[in-house]
Amino acid sequence: MAHANPTGWKRWLFSTNHKDIGVMYIWFAFFAGMIGFAMSGLIRMELMEPGIQIIPSVFGMDDAQARHMFNVLTTGHGLIMVFFMVMPALIGGFGNYFVPLMIGAPDMAFPRMNNISFWMMPPAFILLLLSTFVEGPSGMNGFGGGWTAYAPLSTVGHPGPSMDLAIFSLHVAGASSIMGAINYITTIFNMRAPGMTIHKMPLFAWSILITAFLLVLSLPVLAGAITMLLTDRNFGTTFFDPAGGGDPILFQHLFWFFGHPEVYIMILPAFGIISHIVSTFSKKPIFGYLGMAYAMTAIGFIGFVVWAHHMYTVGLDVDTKAYFTAATMVIAVPTGVKIFSWIATMWGGSIRYTVPMMYAIAFILLFTMGGVTGVVLSNPGADVALHDTYYVVAHFHYVLSLGAVFGIFAGLYYWIGKMTGKEYPNMLAKLQFWVTFIGVNMIFFPQHFLGLQGMPRRYVDYPEQFAYWNWVSSWGYLVTLVGVILFIAVMGITLARKKTLGDNQWGEGANTLEWTISSPPPFHQFNELPQIK
Amino acid sequence: MKVKGLIARMVAGLTALIAVAAGATAQDRIGQPTDKGIWLQEAASEQAQKISDFNELLFWIILVITIFVFILMFYTMWRFREKANPVPSKVSHNTFIEIVWTVVPIIILVVIGVISLPLLYWQDQVPETDMAIKVTGNQWNWTYSYPDHGDFELTANIVDNATFDDPAKLAAAEAELSSFLGWPAKMNTRLLDADYRLVLPVNTKIKVQLTATDVLHAWTVPAFGVKLDAVPGRLNETWFEVNQTGIFYGQCSELCGRDHAYMPIAVEVVSKEQFARWVALQGGTIAAAPAPTLGR
Amino acid sequence: MSGEVQHDYHLVNPSPWPAIGSLAIFVTLVGAVFTMKPDALLFGIEGSSWGSWGFGLGFALLIYTVFAWWKDVVKEAETGDHTPVVGIGLRYGMILFIASEVMFFVAWFWAFFNASLYPIVPTSGATFWEVIGNDAVWPPVGIETFDPWHLPFINTLILLLSGTTVTWAHHAILHGDRDGLKKGLWLTVLLGAAFTMVQGYEYNHAAFGFSGSIYGATFFMATGFHGFHVLVGTIFLAVCLGRSYKGHFSPERHFGLEAAAWYWHFVDVVWLFLFVAVYIWGG
Ligand code: HEA
Ligand code: HEA
Ligand code: CUA
Ligand SMILES: [Cu+2]
Repeated sequence: MAHANPTGWKRWLFSTNHKDIGVMYIWFAFFAGMIGFAMSGLIRMELMEPGIQIIPSVFGMDDAQARHMFNVLTTGHGLIMVFFMVMPALIGGFGNYFVPLMIGAPDMAFPRMNNISFWMMPPAFILLLLSTFVEGPSGMNGFGGGWTAYAPLSTVGHPGPSMDLAIFSLHVAGASSIMGAINYITTIFNMRAPGMTIHKMPLFAWSILITAFLLVLSLPVLAGAITMLLTDRNFGTTFFDPAGGGDPILFQHLFWFFGHPEVYIMILPAFGIISHIVSTFSKKPIFGYLGMAYAMTAIGFIGFVVWAHHMYTVGLDVDTKAYFTAATMVIAVPTGVKIFSWIATMWGGSIRYTVPMMYAIAFILLFTMGGVTGVVLSNPGADVALHDTYYVVAHFHYVLSLGAVFGIFAGLYYWIGKMTGKEYPNMLAKLQFWVTFIGVNMIFFPQHFLGLQGMPRRYVDYPEQFAYWNWVSSWGYLVTLVGVILFIAVMGITLARKKTLGDNQWGEGANTLEWTISSPPPFHQFNELPQIK
Repeated sequence: MKVKGLIARMVAGLTALIAVAAGATAQDRIGQPTDKGIWLQEAASEQAQKISDFNELLFWIILVITIFVFILMFYTMWRFREKANPVPSKVSHNTFIEIVWTVVPIIILVVIGVISLPLLYWQDQVPETDMAIKVTGNQWNWTYSYPDHGDFELTANIVDNATFDDPAKLAAAEAELSSFLGWPAKMNTRLLDADYRLVLPVNTKIKVQLTATDVLHAWTVPAFGVKLDAVPGRLNETWFEVNQTGIFYGQCSELCGRDHAYMPIAVEVVSKEQFARWVALQGGTIAAAPAPTLGR
Repeated sequence: MSGEVQHDYHLVNPSPWPAIGSLAIFVTLVGAVFTMKPDALLFGIEGSSWGSWGFGLGFALLIYTVFAWWKDVVKEAETGDHTPVVGIGLRYGMILFIASEVMFFVAWFWAFFNASLYPIVPTSGATFWEVIGNDAVWPPVGIETFDPWHLPFINTLILLLSGTTVTWAHHAILHGDRDGLKKGLWLTVLLGAAFTMVQGYEYNHAAFGFSGSIYGATFFMATGFHGFHVLVGTIFLAVCLGRSYKGHFSPERHFGLEAAAWYWHFVDVVWLFLFVAVYIWGG
């Protein structure tokens, strides 16, 4: 079997190599992340003070258009961060690069399909960006209906082609993810090295396996829902239009049947990464390995039956709400198992505070904070006051921006040496951690207060009483901006360095298979399959 | 010992902080957010009071959990740092502790559930009410009508920012509102004040029936403990009973397009007599109407 | 670490098709949007001037890519890249793909049951307060539905029969009976085509429209997506038929055929649900 190894642009464009594809995913996520981050900057700068101040001048438009533009920014920010930053980084990037390495496989099961999974992301992203340049509501550009795209605002509310482009963007991104998921499941089931039973498999591979199942089972439902939007918009069907006997609430059910599993899709891979880092730097095997694996499985299962906790105020009947309350709270139990098992892994360990470990610890603490506010929201009694306020925004940024994103940072610091053979500048990286840590907490902690006081989300302007905490939050963004610039510097310096690292940069404690091969790994690893005892 | 003292001090500090925030609210205008506020708005109905109490309870529970996790983490970080503990243990199982950290959260959640679910059922049942209002959300204003008082209707739009910048305009707007109400009215909250107000009697059980004409909206008044989506093609119902007079504000709480932030809810709650006078002024009728019944 | 490859996995050669396919998808979809919205502007250019061209060209490129890609797969299968372990992988892949398709249909059934179990009286914003209290029924007032025991029943029989003929083809190849394989596939493909034609005829004689009513929306989208899957399945089987003439497939190795059969059974089962729920119960 002759196997060609192309060079130059063909190596990347035509790639069938999981590590190259993983690297492309990470770069893609990085660029998308920069755009999403810039958008959140515009949001925060606009909200720094009451009144409309910066959007009209930034985009050269009048006040009315600026109000719509703000919604476009919020929508774009949410969609980009979710679909084009977190998912490509954690699943496409780290998943591709490390799952085959960790399970002792030479590559993914379907390398060519792997490549189209990646190459469908740029078109999907461009479709989304294009949507902001064409008409949404009459006379204004872009889709401003929120990342949730609730009908009828996404049907009759945005008659222009903008929404159609956004719909197709999600179709393409979704198809990409479904193919990726099928690839991971097949790889993990079929290509583990001899001797690596499913109960010996590293937790990151476990997390990707469960994530992939969630993707396969939830994304097609979203595809159906947005296809209904498309036909309602263009071909006169009335799925969500009461004038034809349709029901706007149907869209919310379909969306959240996807949407809730989606939030676990974003966090489970981070859980996996954190487990490895905590174990490595405590120099201890992970505490309660099986409990950890099955806790993730349980989270995945329960994640499918809690979706209507996003819909407590739409007028569900009371028994339905009661059921969803109970089901939702149950998830706190397996999640608690994970939190405590991480701490127990550290307990008795010999802990080294490297940068990835600092991120991991921050992850555990901040995720807990985000998780417990989730439990508050799961109670309709409290959610009546907090739904669609900044309390919710604070909740999900604690689990996403301070959870999933910290997972990405942690993973990147943990593995950059493996991927490049180069060492990151340690002191600068520590500084980057602290600045980012302070910055993001400053952004999102005060948002709890705003939410409790009743400030609704997706508001371009707010009464003066909300000014103070918004001002703090926006300054937090500026601190974070410094953190992100430092991050770029750290990465730039790392990449410019020479390859100095051996197989195992972290020494004792780092005992998964990726640490048994060179840094960076050879183009094709495991030509002879490793034997697991 | 030391840890205990620390917790006690932190708890005391936080309690003080919340007390200050709550106190500030009490002194401040009711029915709207407070400058630098960090807590729920002051309750003006039984619902809001129950929500507030429940939320406070949840707050203490999650605070204790969070502090517990933080302290555990910090202690572990300090006790098992590389210098202090150069040789790691190899323990990776302990059935007892694993059972504990599964069962204890379950117990906590059961406790929350036992309080939460009755509250949910209590909130949801619509009792025999004294009167109803119909609320319709539109892009971007609210239409109210009074089915028990002759079904007259009013539409409330925001008082735009330009009005607040121009004393003459503001005076005109206030005059218009005053003549609508039949008593003098002031406008002083940008983005919260509407040109006409929903007028309601105090200490009356009011049923709200809600729908929308175009896209989703949500009718919210924090001080009443009410938030409900207005959905085209559907009728949603809720109720409340305001226990004090005053002006109460809320804001549309479901993204509805360009002017989502510009369709406030302004409610003036007045005595029953004053309400009767106002209804008469609108050409409506006050009858000893039986509780309104509109089917689903 | 370098050394000779000592495992049976398939390290696929670099391929241009993924990148070209993505480009094709992009062009197709942008074209599609501006075909649907011919009056709309993209950077000042009206959609009508190029939308349908983009759609057509993109789609043609997409079909070509799919064709070329699968041709490569077939070639790899015939030259021994599909070792037993790779075959297992392909099986996993196909099962998971079908699982995702099942979830796609869940969305349409959800819409159908949402509308039929909890029907609402059609209202526009202006009439809402007047229609409250009116009873909603399913099927909605004024909708004349199909008689399930007419053409739909015949179609049910056609599909069930085709399920048996494809099994015949499969068993034939298992016994090395190439003649039986071809006959079974011919019959299946013809039955599939017959189903599509009957369905097309039925659509043309529907007493209700696609637009304007939730009945038409749920009916046509659910059965329409099913019909589309029948079409895809028929093509898939036809490809297998063509391959069988080329001498492909052996009693031991014929996963392409098996995958087509699985897909066909899946399409069959979806129809049974549609028939029972949409035609009989909901009609
Ligand atoms: C990574 C993403 C992520 C994660 C992990 C979660 C986790 C959880 N979320 Fe969150 N959520 C979002 C992302 C996420 N969420 C997003 C994006 C939205 C908004 C979407 C939108 O509207 O735009 C949202 C909104 C949202 C709502 C709707 C709010 C509203 O709109 O009104 C609710 C309500 O129930 C909720 C609940 C929960 C719960 C109970 C968890 C639980 O899984 C949390 C479990 C974790 C813990 C509880 C902490 C650790 C546990 C212990 C230390 C054990 C002891 C604890 C107890 C006994 C309580 N979330
Ligand atoms: C993963 C998801 C994610 C992330 C990371 C973020 C990050 C941030 N978000 Fe978030 N946000 C959402 C998901 C996310 N957001 C969603 C779903 C919504 C709801 C949208 C809607 O209502 O429809 C929302 C809405 C939202 C709002 C509410 C807007 C409104 O209601 O009008 C605000 C306001 O402050 C805000 C601010 C921010 C800020 C300041 C950041 C950040 O700037 C914080 C700092 C972040 C970083 C430092 C990370 C930067 C990451 C990279 C640069 C990538 C690196 C990657 C690699 C190296 C591979 N966001
Ligand atoms: Cu009306 Cu938001
Ligand atoms: Cu959720």
